[in-house]
Order: sequence, then C-alpha cells, then structure tokens
Amino acid sequence: MTVLAGIGFNAPWLLLGLLALPILWLILRAVPPAPARRLFPGVTLLLGLKDDESVSDRTPWWLLLLRMLAVAAVIVGLAGPVLNPRQDKDGSGPLLIVLDASWAGATRWPDKVELIASQLAQAGRAGRPVAVLRLTAPEAPVFQAADVWRSRLAGLTPEAWQPAQIGDVLAALDSVEGGFDSHWLGDGLDYDGRDRVLEALEARGAVQVFQGASVILGLSPARFDQGALQLTVQRSATGPAREVTLLVHGRDPAGTARILASVPARFDAGSDIATTALSLPAELRGRITRFDIQGQRSAGAMSLADDSLRRREVALIAGREDREGLQLLSPLHYLRQALVPTAELLDGALADLLPANPDVVVLADIATLSSAEEAALTEWIEAGGMLLRFAGPRLAASDVSRSEEHPLMPVRLRSGGRSVGGAMSWGEPKTLAPFPETSPFNGLTIPSDVRVTAQVMAQPDPTLADRVIAALGDGTPLVTRKALGQGQVVLFHITANAEWSTLPLSGLFVEMLERLAVSSSAKPPEAADLQGTTWTPVQVLNGFGDLHDAGTLPGVDGPALAEAPAGPDLQPGIYDSGKRRLARNVLGADDRLVAADWPAHVSVQGLGIRLEVPLGGGLLSLALVLLVLDVVASLALSGRLGMGGAVLILALLIAQPMTGRAQQTQADTDFAITATSELVLAHVLTGNAQLDDIAQAGLLGLADTLFFRTSVEPSTPIGVDLERDELAFFPLLYWPITPDQPQPSAAAYARLNTYLRSGGMILFDTRDSDIARFGAASPNGRKLQQLAAPLDIPPLEPLPKDHVLTRTFYLLQDFPGRHNSHDVWVEAAPPDAELAEGMPFRNLNDGVTPVVIGGNDWAGAWATDRNGRPLLPIGRGFAGERQRELAYRFGVNLVMHVLTGNYKSDQVHVPALLDRLGQ
Amino acid sequence: MTPTPTLRERSESEASRLPPLLARAEHLAGTVLLGEHGRRRAGLGDDFWQYRPAQIGDSKRLIDHRRSARGDMQFVREREWQIAQSVMLWVDQGASMRFASDDALPTKADRARLLALAIAILLVRGGERIGLTGTSLPPRRGNPQILRLAESFAIDSDADYAPPEHRAMIPHARALFLSDFLGDMAEVTTALTKAADRGVRGVLLQVLDPSEELFPFRGRTIFQSVGGSVSHETLKAGDLRDRYLQRLAARKDELTQLCRATGWRLGLHHTNDSAQSALLWLYRALDRGAR
Repeated sequence: MTVLAGIGFNAPWLLLGLLALPILWLILRAVPPAPARRLFPGVTLLLGLKDDESVSDRTPWWLLLLRMLAVAAVIVGLAGPVLNPRQDKDGSGPLLIVLDASWAGATRWPDKVELIASQLAQAGRAGRPVAVLRLTAPEAPVFQAADVWRSRLAGLTPEAWQPAQIGDVLAALDSVEGGFDSHWLGDGLDYDGRDRVLEALEARGAVQVFQGASVILGLSPARFDQGALQLTVQRSATGPAREVTLLVHGRDPAGTARILASVPARFDAGSDIATTALSLPAELRGRITRFDIQGQRSAGAMSLADDSLRRREVALIAGREDREGLQLLSPLHYLRQALVPTAELLDGALADLLPANPDVVVLADIATLSSAEEAALTEWIEAGGMLLRFAGPRLAASDVSRSEEHPLMPVRLRSGGRSVGGAMSWGEPKTLAPFPETSPFNGLTIPSDVRVTAQVMAQPDPTLADRVIAALGDGTPLVTRKALGQGQVVLFHITANAEWSTLPLSGLFVEMLERLAVSSSAKPPEAADLQGTTWTPVQVLNGFGDLHDAGTLPGVDGPALAEAPAGPDLQPGIYDSGKRRLARNVLGADDRLVAADWPAHVSVQGLGIRLEVPLGGGLLSLALVLLVLDVVASLALSGRLGMGGAVLILALLIAQPMTGRAQQTQADTDFAITATSELVLAHVLTGNAQLDDIAQAGLLGLADTLFFRTSVEPSTPIGVDLERDELAFFPLLYWPITPDQPQPSAAAYARLNTYLRSGGMILFDTRDSDIARFGAASPNGRKLQQLAAPLDIPPLEPLPKDHVLTRTFYLLQDFPGRHNSHDVWVEAAPPDAELAEGMPFRNLNDGVTPVVIGGNDWAGAWATDRNGRPLLPIGRGFAGERQRELAYRFGVNLVMHVLTGNYKSDQVHVPALLDRLGQ
Repeated sequence: MTPTPTLRERSESEASRLPPLLARAEHLAGTVLLGEHGRRRAGLGDDFWQYRPAQIGDSKRLIDHRRSARGDMQFVREREWQIAQSVMLWVDQGASMRFASDDALPTKADRARLLALAIAILLVRGGERIGLTGTSLPPRRGNPQILRLAESFAIDSDADYAPPEHRAMIPHARALFLSDFLGDMAEVTTALTKAADRGVRGVLLQVLDPSEELFPFRGRTIFQSVGGSVSHETLKAGDLRDRYLQRLAARKDELTQLCRATGWRLGLHHTNDSAQSALLWLYRALDRGAR
C-alpha cells in the first residue's frame, strides 16, 4: 500500500488517470452538446438562415466541472483509498491475541473488540493465522484464519472475575508448538501470575501490550454502620479529585425494578477510595437488590445486596400474659405497633424462640428467668444477639441486679424505683436530655411532649456513665446498654407501654427502636459460620454486571464461598442455601484495586487506534450522484426538462428508499380497513395450503349460514399470518392444528396473549377426534400442547351441559364437525358458580371463554365451494347431512357466543323477571 | 382484449369528437348573440316569411311571443333573406396547425375549428348559407349544415402546410380563411387574387401559437415541421431569434398588403388569447364586409 498525504492507496498507479482530466476538459469543451429536436411550424421562416458563428453554445463551465469531478471521483475511488492506513511493521508467523477478559475491561469492551477486529483485519491481509486466548477462561489456543475469528468476535465477552487459573493458562500455552507473536490486551488491573504468563509469552515471540488509560472503578460490598448504608468506591489509580454517582437499585412495591436512590461519592485528589453514607428508611432498604456506579458497565462496579439488608426478626416476650382484653395496657402493644412495619415479629416462649435465632429478643417487664433460659439467652447474646429489656412494676419490685450486676442487665438497680410528678409526689414529670454524641440515638429530635413519670433508678457505678445512652433532664439514666460477648444488652428504664411515660406514644420511640435494631444487623458471614453448608448459585454475573440465570452450575462449599477467589467454579452472583441468601460480589470487603505495572522492556500501546476507513465506496457513490446531477443538469440545459421535471426527478431520487416502508404502511392500512369495515371471521394460516383452503372454505360456509339465518352478516373470511397481521380486528380465530406448522415467534405469542386477554376467542381444532381422544395421544394433540404452552389459557373443563354455548342461538347438546366427539373443552367455570334454582343452567363465567378446543374438524364440515355445495362428505346419507346441519348450528352458536357474550346466561333471571311482572 | 380498437370503438371515439366541438362552438356563439340579438335591422333585406310552430331545438328567444300569445302553441317567426348571402369557410387542416407549445394551450387547429364552427352557427342563426370553399361542401342553410361542417372539420390533412382552397368560389359571396399562413405565400396570393377577381370579399384570420411569436429557444436545436417534411438545424438558436422575428413581421406585412390590395380584412389571433374576443372580431368583420 502506498501512502500519499496520510491516505493509503491500494492501486496507486490508477491515480495517473487524473493526468487525463485536462485533456478530457478540452475534448468536452470542443464537442457541442447534442441538439434538441423540436417541433416548430415556423420552421419555414427559418429556412435559409445561417448561423453567425460556426462554434455552438459551449457546455457551461460548471457542468464541465461537475463531470470532471465525477470522473476524478471514479479514478480516485478505483485507486482504493484508505484513511488511516496501518503500516504492517511486524512480520509474519502466527499471532496470539491474549485477552485479560476480566470485569475490569468490561466498561471499555467495545473499544477492545474494535481493536481486535482491526488486528484481525491486519493479520488477515498478511495471511497470518490467529488464535485468541482469554486468560479468565483459558483454552488451548487454536490457530485459524483471521476471518474465522472475525465471525466469532461477537461471542467474546469478559468474565466477572480476574484471571485466576494461571496454571491452566501456562498449560494451554505449552500445548502450542512453535513460536508466535503475542498481542496482549490488558484490562489494567494487576493479578497474581501475570508475570509468569508474560514470561511464557516472551519465550515464544514478541509481546505487544495494549492497555487503556482509563481508571478502573470498583464498588466494595455495602455494609451497615451507624444506622446508615456505608458505600465504598475504589479506583485503580490515584488522580485528581473526582465525583462518581452511586445508584441504588431495587424493586418498588409493585415489584418493578427501578432506581431507589442515588448518592454522590467523592474521590479526593490523591486518594483512591471514596466513601459515602446513605440513610434509607428500613422499608426501602429491605427492597434493595444491588448498588452500582453510574456510567460504569462492569461486574466490579456493582455490588449485590443479600440477607444482610433483610428485615430483622424480633422476639417479643412479656410477663402478665394472663390479662386478657386490655390491649392498650399490654406491655407489648406499642412495641408491636412500632416494629410491625420494619421487622418480623416472633411470639412464643423464650425457650422456643431462641433456637429460631432471632436478631433481637425483647423482654418487657420480665424480672427473672429460669436458669436454663438464662444460660441459653446468655449464649445467644454472646453469639451476637441483642437483648432489649423494659422495666416495669415487676422489675422494680424484684431483687434482680440489686446488689451486684446481673449478667443480663446493663446496670445495677436501686430498689423500688421512683415516681415523679404524680399526685402523691413532689416535682414535675421529667423530660429527656439531649442525646450525647456517643449515643446511637445521637441526632434524633426529642418531641417536647415526652414526659417520664416513673422509672427504675440505676445504682451509681464506675461504669455507669459509659453505659448510659439516653438520660432524663435531671441526669438519671433512661436507656443503658452494655456489651456482652459479640452482642449487647439494652435496658429501657421505663415500661414499654404508656403507664410510666409518654415515650411509647411518640415517634421518637419508633426511631430509637430503629436505631437499635439497625445496629444489630447481620454481619457478613465468616468462613467458619458457613462450615458444612452448600450454596447453590441462583443468578450469576457476567463481566458486564448483568445478572443471568445460573442454569446448571454446581453448588459450592460454604467456606469457599466466603474465602475462595472468584473464578469459573465460583462465579460472582447470588447463592442460596435453604432460606438464607448470600451475595458473592466481585470485590470483597478487603479487596483493593491495583493497577497493572508492566516491565520496562514491554512496549505498551493505548487502545485508541484509528480504524482504517476505506474511502473507495464513498467516492464511487459520490461519482454516481454527480453523474445523476449531470444528467438532470444536461436535460435542463437542453430545455427538455422543465423546472417541475427536475424537482420531480430529485424528489424521486430522495424518496426512493422510503417507498418500501410507505407501501408496507399502506398494506397494513388496507388490511385494517378490510378487516374492520365489516365483521370478518378469520383463520390462522398454518402454511399447509390444503388445510388453509379448507379453513377458508369452512369459514366461508359458516359466514353464508350466518348471513342466511341470523342478523350476523360476515364478509369474506381472512387468513391471518400470526407473525405479521394485527389480530385485534377479529372476534374469532379458527386455528386448525397440523403437526408440521411452525411455532409462532415470541412477538406473535405476545400478540396472541393480548388478543386473548382483550376478549378474543380462538377455536383450536386438532381435526383428529375420529382416531384420538383429547390429549397428547395424537401428533396433532401433541402439537396443540406445544403451540398452546406459551398462551395465557385459563383452566379448562369439558363443555358442561349447561354452558351458554349450548343455547346462544340453537339449543344444542352435541357439537359435531366432520367427526362427532363430545370432547370439547372450554374455560372452566369458577368453583363458586352455582346451579340456578329451578333452571337447567348455571350462571356460568361472566364472559366469553377465550378458547374452545376440540377435534371435530369443524371447518371440514362447514366447507362449501362458491356455489354453496359442501366440499367434504360427512358420514352417510341423511344422518351425515343432519350432522352437517348440527355442525353449522354449532358454528352459529359459537359466533353468537363471541358476539353477545353471556347475554343468554341472563335467562337465568327470566323467572324472577316474570315473577316481578306479576305473571 | 383485442390488441387493436374495434371498429365500433374507433367510430365512437370519432363521434365523441364532434359534440364537444359543437357544444363549445354553440356555447361560444351564444355569448355573442346575447349582445347582438339577431340581425333585425332595416336594409338587411330580411322580411317576414312565415310563422311556423316551435320545434325542439329552437332557442327560446326565437319564439315570437306576439303570435304565440294568441293561442296555446308557440310559434317561431321565420324571416327570409331576400338576397341570399353565402359565406365560404376555409380552415387550414394541415399538420402545421396541429401544434401547441404547451400542454395547457389548445392546438392552433383546435382553436381555428372552434372559431369557424362558432361563426358558422351565428351565421346560420342569422339565416346565411354556410359552406366550405371547394366542392366538398357547397353553401347551404340550416342546422344540419353545422353538423356537416363539424364533421368535415374532424378530417386532418396529411400535408404539412395546406394551400388555401380557392376552387368553386361563388361570385360575390363572402369568405373566411383561418390558417397560420406560415406555408407558401404564393398559394395565398393566388387564392386571394382569384377570390378578388370573382368579387369575393372576406376575412383572413391568422392563428398563431405564442411560441411562434416569441421564439424562446436557445442552444443547438433541430427545428422540424409537425409533418416532418421540413427541418432546419442551428447551433445557436438564440442568435436566430431576431432574424426569425423579422421574417415573421415581413410575413404579416405581406399579408396586410395582400388584403389591402384585394379588399379583405386581416386578423391575428393567438391561441393563448380568449376565443370569444376573436369570435366577436370575426363576427363584426364579416358583418361589416356584408354591408
């Protein structure tokens, strides 16, 4: 390829043709334009007139220029110009394209695919065999022609993990014999074993690395801290300050996926971590499905939500269970009201509830527990549980935690408690003091009307000050807390009902409970927690961060799920074990993004290649356009083309590509007008010409019968193509079944379902009830099952004796076609449909059955030729004709049923109406 | 379907040509009669001839109400020219007349036939005898003659430029020649001289297409007559314009001189002008010639 002025030419010698242009210019100027022939009666007056000059009108210079341009465009176009030509620098031999193919490259994957395509094109021109090796899914490289790989480009996708099986990669490389050059498209992240792969490649030939310069962002799993979602974003390289937006995806109450919230996170200059906190209502939080970074499209830039965000289980246990009926006085009433919206409440005895491992246990005014209960409770708290206790008359009267601190109490109590602001006491009811900064309640606003009239008093202890997380205005503790093992014990020094204070009546109570419940959220599981469990993948991520069904992937061992690196055997995604659900994210909580660092001797190029753009086609098209303009201009010059003509030709040229669509629209409109200008019966085109003809003839016969006997006057039936035609125009679709008809497409099924839901009816006819009963016994029956599987068909039942179809026009009990089987199925009546008193029929479905299924070959019985003669014989003699008549009657009933709905069902009310009329 | 039109179809299409021309001619004639209201003037020689019952086809204005008011029947008062006037028409049927420079314009032949037929209708209503020059259709009176005229106008001549028909001219009759007069002038001179010799006076109406007056052509052009017998090629049509217009003016001048010498009147009509004004001019010109 020769390069001239940045443009390469495949056939540069053709450009010499441009030298001929000036000669062509002279020739074109010398040759006069072709004469115009005109009729002109006044020619007699012209005879004998001579031209003054022998030179004719010259072709105008701009027309000449137009022609010159066209010729030049042809010459240059044929010379094969290529913009951004690539110079083949490296020689021949096999080429191995190595891809990291990890999630880190997913966001810029299209650039990589383009780069690979250009390299393949280049290798194809050089005749080099090519192999592609994905490090995340290593397979032994197979060197093939570049064109073969080009067709497989679309199938190359990144995986949701980093290259892990370096041993497999090295083995795959070892399996190749001979040397090869390598092009390594890196994703920009470091991983173990990269240097070993590089060594192995360099041992075989030259290595060229291509790596984008963009910074890779990753999102660590979200966690709860301080009652808020803590989100951490990492970047692979530090740089200037940058702000990214984190999106919280979830389902709205209707179950539709949408973005629940978005929150900015800011990288400070020189920092590679940005954190942000997001406070969401518990209800909203429970519906979060995943977080991701706006503008990034990779599995690492998202994190999936799992059980750690789920609703907590709270066990409520109270004394005084004997007092029935005093609901508002129940110690648990306000707790229940406060917790029901955000938590799962468990009721029962403490011994029964602890094995269920609730997140929180609430003891309302329970002073003493049995030693077994106490031991179990202590064990549960130490394993991370949270005990929430409320005071009350019993606790105040008991000796619990009096002389020394009880393990399940945060403080020692004075005996008796105190009462302030009552009728028999001095002083005013106390208000709450502002929450200290160390308190989990810090930041909550205290309503002014919260009053405390009685409380249990804490004994002053050295540790007391640390344990108070809420206090009254006079400094006496209101809420105290202590840690016990991994869990904690919290004591409200008041009752859980409104006897001792108005706090349970206020919104503050709910907020305080929420703060406490949030801080008791499930922690990320440790490997030890998962010992002995097996987790099955439900949905797994691909490198782009799209969830898709896990299919038949095997389950993984619990500890491996927590600790092992992600790979083909442990794909990031959502895993289930029993009722528990865990999300395995691409990035763990401790993972850090490290940028790949290449040795100095390896040459690294950016991804930003300029693609080769062949210009020949465009130039030749330009030449064609110029020649068309030349034709128009020449015609206009010689006066053979009026202005209108020129406009018309140009308009035609412009409008040419659009006529096809216009015709399509026109055809659609014609179809719609034909189908709606009159009532039209329709049948589904099966692709079997004979069957379609019979169906058409059958519906024609039925239409004639309807025309003669009823006020329904259908026009010529139409065969509809499910793939193309709109169905909404037809009240009834007749669908004959043949084993070899094609399965409709998904779009066609969508239309069919819309049709059924909006009141359409399909009459399925397997046409084989002479040899088979209803079901999968015949090929037609099996085909019907296949065809109808994606359809939205309600439960069916054999047509009951009192179905409205038996009396919409004629009174019928049989529904024969060419065959006389009683197996006709319609939508089942609802279970509560009742027999009307004294009437032979029930008040059945309030609507039209969407399907009628049978095998009596009705169309065959209805089919007539143009003169009204039956096409197909039925039975023998008069009995056969009688059967045909009944078949027509069934058809009439069916169409009447479709058109009038359950109108005839209303006859069930006739006795009542007659009664009311006094007859 | 037969590939060629059957005889009946052809005859129907031929016949369909007549009524429109006739109807348009009647229509055109009607607009003129409205203003003139007959020729009932002293000195014209029209006297009462007879009353006859009105027939279908008689115009309402021909009814004599004074006579009709005496009974239940309607009568038409017919007058008789004491000196029968004959008007002979010659309409150029040559190919050169079948030319229109624009689809929106009528051909010259169409306009000439329309004018001829309209003036014939007017003259027949006035009681004149109408015919064609030559022997094909001698002057006669009455409505059927109109039909015969229309019929003969439908025949096209193959010749490119038809020479004026000057045979069988009735002495002291009047004549009306409609043509573009772009053919051989000698023929016209011969015809008019012969007519003048026989005491025939009349009107020449030159019917021209606007393009023949303007010569709006440019570039290398081959001009052809409609019949294809004459052609002329030029390299620069634009340069010919002035000289063509000079020749056209000379041709008109020649015609004027000829008319002055023979006592005829010369009119010029363009096909993009209204036919009615031409008809009015023709009517008055013939009228004056009769006086």
